[in-house]
Amino acid sequence: MSQGIIDNLVAELTRLPGIGRKSAQRLAFFILSMPANEAKSIADAIIRVKENARFCSNCYNITDSDSCAICTDSSRDKTSICVVEEPSNIIAVERTKIFKGLYHVLLGALSPLDGITPDKLRIDELIQRIKRDGIKEVILATNPNTKGEMTARYITELIKPLGIEISRIAYGLPIGSDIEFADEVTLSKALEGRRTL
Amino acid sequence: MLKRTEGIVLKTTVFGEADLIVAFLTKDFGIMRGFAKSPRKIKSRFGSSLEPLTYSRLSFMGKEDSNLPRITQSDIIKPFNTIREDYSSFLKAAEIIDIALRFLPEREPHPELFSLMLGTLKGLERETDDRLSYLYHKIKFLQIAGLAPRLDMCGRCGCGLMERPSAHNRTKHIFYVSHGAVICSECGRDTGQAVHISEGALRFYASLLKWPIMSLERIKAPEMFIRDLALAIDSHIRYVLGTGPASADAVIYKIMTAK
Repeated sequence: MSQGIIDNLVAELTRLPGIGRKSAQRLAFFILSMPANEAKSIADAIIRVKENARFCSNCYNITDSDSCAICTDSSRDKTSICVVEEPSNIIAVERTKIFKGLYHVLLGALSPLDGITPDKLRIDELIQRIKRDGIKEVILATNPNTKGEMTARYITELIKPLGIEISRIAYGLPIGSDIEFADEVTLSKALEGRRTL
Repeated sequence: MLKRTEGIVLKTTVFGEADLIVAFLTKDFGIMRGFAKSPRKIKSRFGSSLEPLTYSRLSFMGKEDSNLPRITQSDIIKPFNTIREDYSSFLKAAEIIDIALRFLPEREPHPELFSLMLGTLKGLERETDDRLSYLYHKIKFLQIAGLAPRLDMCGRCGCGLMERPSAHNRTKHIFYVSHGAVICSECGRDTGQAVHISEGALRFYASLLKWPIMSLERIKAPEMFIRDLALAIDSHIRYVLGTGPASADAVIYKIMTAK
């Protein structure tokens, strides 16, 4: 059997993040051993997502129709918005099963060093949405790093005059960790954000 | 080989799923980049020590000539988190970071620039007149890098512009950006890009070049001097770089959209 097609598959798989040559080889041989219909189903799923995926016209989540499943779900609280940086963050928040409102994806975070200014994010759309849809609460769930924090502060400045409730997800220590290994910024934020029991 | 030094995080670039490539301005090796394994994961031992502007004690592991040594440890000395949490403050800090990254070659020790950067960040955090701290940093940076413009004499004939003091500090001189110098009225018939600068601002510039950073806390500079010098220095930096720093676009955006 010619090694050409296997080498080609390995080379293509190494394009994926976190996949080195060895992992790609393992995946390639696993695909080779799969039933043809299963392998085809993976290939079809990749093609379908590339052909049909688009941003939700309301929240900028990834969807295959005009509005995403979360925006069209009538059981969700339509007065509360959780603001995240990327569509993948929605999956993480949804796993908690605690938040029952809607989302707004900014598609990035402010980064002056990389030339990412507010006009390159979906911040204007968020403000319009808040004004248009009668939103009562905004939760800022941007990443707890420099870019995410700056973005959250910037959005807060814009939203505060609208007189709606705005909050930031809490900072703190990850569950299962040890205080002695926490750095001073994380620990000081955890102390500042302590709550009465 | 294990290396230890102190450094300030300038910029981080996401690499792979959870790794970072971090650019530092270090005390002993100048600008250098290092690879950090998994700092974006929740339980990373790096914690917040690789966030931009953090001043920390660093350990690197790698071959002597390695372009990208591995960062093995980073202990925070001063986080400067108050600067990076505010968009306006970070915009200013981002411009000086950007200038450092564009002007300085990697692996060339610049202890003076390291001290200057540290002093500026401390100044910005103390909320002294940050426009002055920011201007002072750029002027001192250019002086240390050997790129400071000549503003004490005519850049063409060499005559002293301030030998005959004028009646008041508001007399305007012309700074020609392409010459990197002020040119006297006798020689100044060029039509290149020019910036008007008051005589008081020229004298203030000469003083800033001599004063140590600690003196900034005691200075109350007239608004006109800061404005004139900032315009001239920013034009000079743009000319030397061939383009403005990327962060400058963000500054311009902020100014344009300010209410």
